[in-house]
Amino acid sequence: MPKLAIDNREIEVPVGTKVIEAAERLGIMIPRFCYHPALGSVGACRVCAVKFLEGPVKGVQMSCMVDARDGMVVSTTDEEAVDFRRHVIEWLMLHHPHDCPVCDEGGHCLLQDMTVSGGHGRRRYPGKKRTHTDQDLGPLIQHEMNRCIQCYRCSRFYQEYCGYRDLGVMQSANRVYFGRQEDGTLESPFAGNITDICPTGVFTDKPSRFKGRRWDYERTPSICLNCSLGCHTVVSARYREVIRQEARFSASVNGDFICDRGRYGFFYASIPERPRQAAIDGKAVTREKALDVVRVRLERIARQSGTAAVACAGSLRSSLDTLAAIDLLSRQNGWHDPSFWMDRCVASRVKTAASRLEADTVVSLRQVELADVILVVGADPINEAPMLALAMRQAWRRGARVVVIDPRPVFLPFDVDHLPAAPEEMVRGLGVLVKRVIEREDVEQLGHEALSFYDSIPEMPLSVKDRLEAVVGMIKDSRRPIVVCGTEVVPDGAPALAADFSLLLKAKNRSPGLFYVFPGANAFGAMLLPGGQADFEDILAAVENKTVRALVLVECDPLRTFADRPRLEKALASLDMLVVMDYLGTETVKRADIFLPTTTVYESGGLFVNQEGRLQSAPPAFKGGLSIKVAGDGHHPPRIYGSGMPGADPLPARQQLAALAGSPGPVEGDAARWEWLVDYLRLRDFLPAVDDFPEDGVRVLAAAATAEHFGMDWDATLNDDRTGGERLRLVTVDRTFGTEELSGYSACLDTIVPSPVLFMHRQDAERWGRVDGEPVVLTTETGSVKVALCVVDNMRTGMLILPRHHSLDWQLLGEGPMWIAADQIQKAEHT
Amino acid sequence: MLPVEIREELQRQIIAVEHPRELAVDVMFALQDHYGYLSDVALEEAASLLGMTPLEVEELATFYTFIYREPVGKYVIHLCDSLICWMDGYASIRDYMCQKLAVKLGGTTADGLFTLLPVCCTGYCDRSPAMLINRKVYGNLTAEKIDEILEKLKAEA
Repeated sequence: MPKLAIDNREIEVPVGTKVIEAAERLGIMIPRFCYHPALGSVGACRVCAVKFLEGPVKGVQMSCMVDARDGMVVSTTDEEAVDFRRHVIEWLMLHHPHDCPVCDEGGHCLLQDMTVSGGHGRRRYPGKKRTHTDQDLGPLIQHEMNRCIQCYRCSRFYQEYCGYRDLGVMQSANRVYFGRQEDGTLESPFAGNITDICPTGVFTDKPSRFKGRRWDYERTPSICLNCSLGCHTVVSARYREVIRQEARFSASVNGDFICDRGRYGFFYASIPERPRQAAIDGKAVTREKALDVVRVRLERIARQSGTAAVACAGSLRSSLDTLAAIDLLSRQNGWHDPSFWMDRCVASRVKTAASRLEADTVVSLRQVELADVILVVGADPINEAPMLALAMRQAWRRGARVVVIDPRPVFLPFDVDHLPAAPEEMVRGLGVLVKRVIEREDVEQLGHEALSFYDSIPEMPLSVKDRLEAVVGMIKDSRRPIVVCGTEVVPDGAPALAADFSLLLKAKNRSPGLFYVFPGANAFGAMLLPGGQADFEDILAAVENKTVRALVLVECDPLRTFADRPRLEKALASLDMLVVMDYLGTETVKRADIFLPTTTVYESGGLFVNQEGRLQSAPPAFKGGLSIKVAGDGHHPPRIYGSGMPGADPLPARQQLAALAGSPGPVEGDAARWEWLVDYLRLRDFLPAVDDFPEDGVRVLAAAATAEHFGMDWDATLNDDRTGGERLRLVTVDRTFGTEELSGYSACLDTIVPSPVLFMHRQDAERWGRVDGEPVVLTTETGSVKVALCVVDNMRTGMLILPRHHSLDWQLLGEGPMWIAADQIQKAEHT
Repeated sequence: MLPVEIREELQRQIIAVEHPRELAVDVMFALQDHYGYLSDVALEEAASLLGMTPLEVEELATFYTFIYREPVGKYVIHLCDSLICWMDGYASIRDYMCQKLAVKLGGTTADGLFTLLPVCCTGYCDRSPAMLINRKVYGNLTAEKIDEILEKLKAEA
């Protein structure tokens, strides 16, 4: 490993490390604009100049372009280098508008920092400054080109790193312009990152404009909850409001960036519509009064119909504390088994997947970037977990091949082999791959079950085999193959099969990886709960046969997330009592007999386990309460003296639950609660002390029960082969924007969310006489929905793909699986 | 609309190379020759022929001096303003042209005949000051010479 000296301090670094990075490891921040660890070096800005005194390189050179080599002696303080940098900064500032007082970048501006540290103070250039006309880039990004110092970070990130093609660099010389070909919203779902990486105020965060300066904010690390990846964020709060969310570096999860769904998905926490007061029958009451009423009624129901007449349901957006509280209280009080799952099949797949993640095969998001072959089965990364698409692109940039086996019209910002396959075809296809990639000798060492599994893989029809032939070759030649498996659209056997495949690849001396995509933020967390779990359908059935009389919904909105709204409405109407606790102003909240407001992750913090079993902690970002802006209604907040904070009624869900159902462990005291939670979830063996909690969290894999290997029941899978004949199979899915619950409350995303559509293959459309763009009414036994048709070529025939758009009442269509006949899709009448 | 012959010829050329992008400049010039300048319509057509986004073509179009993204006159005059020509009288040549044509640098004469633009070194330094008019170079410029050239071009128009 090369050893070099920088400013008289020695350091040894891996081969290929640039001098600028070596210096950073020593704590020496050499000035930089165009260099970024994720984007690499281009040597454009010239501001990282240092003097090489000894070694293979001599003189003033750009530290970002020079590899650290043995025997180098580098000085950052040499006069010539300092002078060089001062002149470069002066040169870069020639055209700069010097508008710091009105610039949003102020306080976190690299240009400010480098100008001061570079030693440039007095402007002596008397010439004219070049100016530009700015563009409207959409609701998320503000454009101010006069401030540009041409570091090229934005176009490199946008085009090279992310692979989107509508922002770039135009013109030449001092007219260089970074923007779109014409005004318009940026297409990339990662565009928000350019506000983080722009070293000046050219690209700034638009929703948080005029709200404060960097030094005004309370900034706290947090975890994104808008999908199962658990990317790291930094939350800026001011005046009791979450103002902005930025990407936070994580070496294991998201690297330097986050997606826009997560970045702008926090507005639910501070919007005026957020319910903050307890209510009985829709009328505001004190928290104590509401709790009293709930307690009394719960007691009566328990006396009259037994303790199991009460059921509690939570969701996957809640923190581990909340889930554990629901779990324990349900058991302690003899309630019906709690539910955290809206879809029974998804729950069982996630359970299998979580239990098959092992230390040997699990990979983190960052490790996906290092794969040389990625096999994606039943996942649509850009729509389900956008940062996964970005990580896959980095692998592709390094030469990896990516294959996607999925029925949806999958788009990824790089070249992909997409094999549109119906759910059961995915499992068969995987079977073919296993049979062709793995030799029988490789399997022998794994024992009897593995062999009988291998031997029982059924033969496939030739047509399917052909298309997979190329994939077989790819995986055979790979060193670091990664299998990505979704849990929403796949058949039940897929997660286990994916895991078995990765084990067999390991036996074949590859370094395989297994990567699942889960629904929600805390699916794995729900798996860790020791109590028995029902799913929401179980509870509904119990309500229908009158065993359950009272329902307590904790941070759960079944009117929105459960797939059979008419059935749910009937059940809700028949309840003796509906208690809802939430921080979102949902439809379900409006139906509550008693409502109790809860706190968001920004106020109470939380523990979340991501899709690779990584337990991560999000500390509270601010104390909570009604934002000063709302409390004052545009003016100074009311001059009322007293202790307490307006809008402070919301409590963490576990505390609300504790108040009405008995204490789930210690309620106060972070350390005590942590200890209790660790014991309750039997995580003691995997976790350090609370104040030692590692920044990248800790994997708690072994805590999930490990299921059997190689247990695939091929007969059951193949008999499950459902073909609809002339009918099309309807599947509801996620989209990047417009379907995820929390980000649905962000008004700034409204114009970015595409209109609701129903995807149909061109062949099926032609057969049924349907036309692209046509508004249609889709009718099932349960209800109907009006939506525009989108005819595409790159999805599986025989299917209908319906994104669960916020504004679409898809819940009226009923629970799947559903087969739709031609007459169930009619042209919509004009309304 | 691009005439079918031009479109098909360009498509033939594009298919014959490994990366369509290689021919971006050729395609842009071909469209510019047809339309008189590279209009927004021409930009979109170039993009669709090459399989590039309009932004990607715009990145190239705006980079190059001889790709015009705004309407230009029948004759585009490029005055060299680089070092040797500048030393040898560029400034007075420019002032003379501006006065004679009654335009500023960047402008087009009212009759649509001449557009006046600067250009950086064309390599005609031994015959400075020099200018290009529609890719033809004229050197050792004097006021008289300029008058002659412009008269001739007006007559031919």
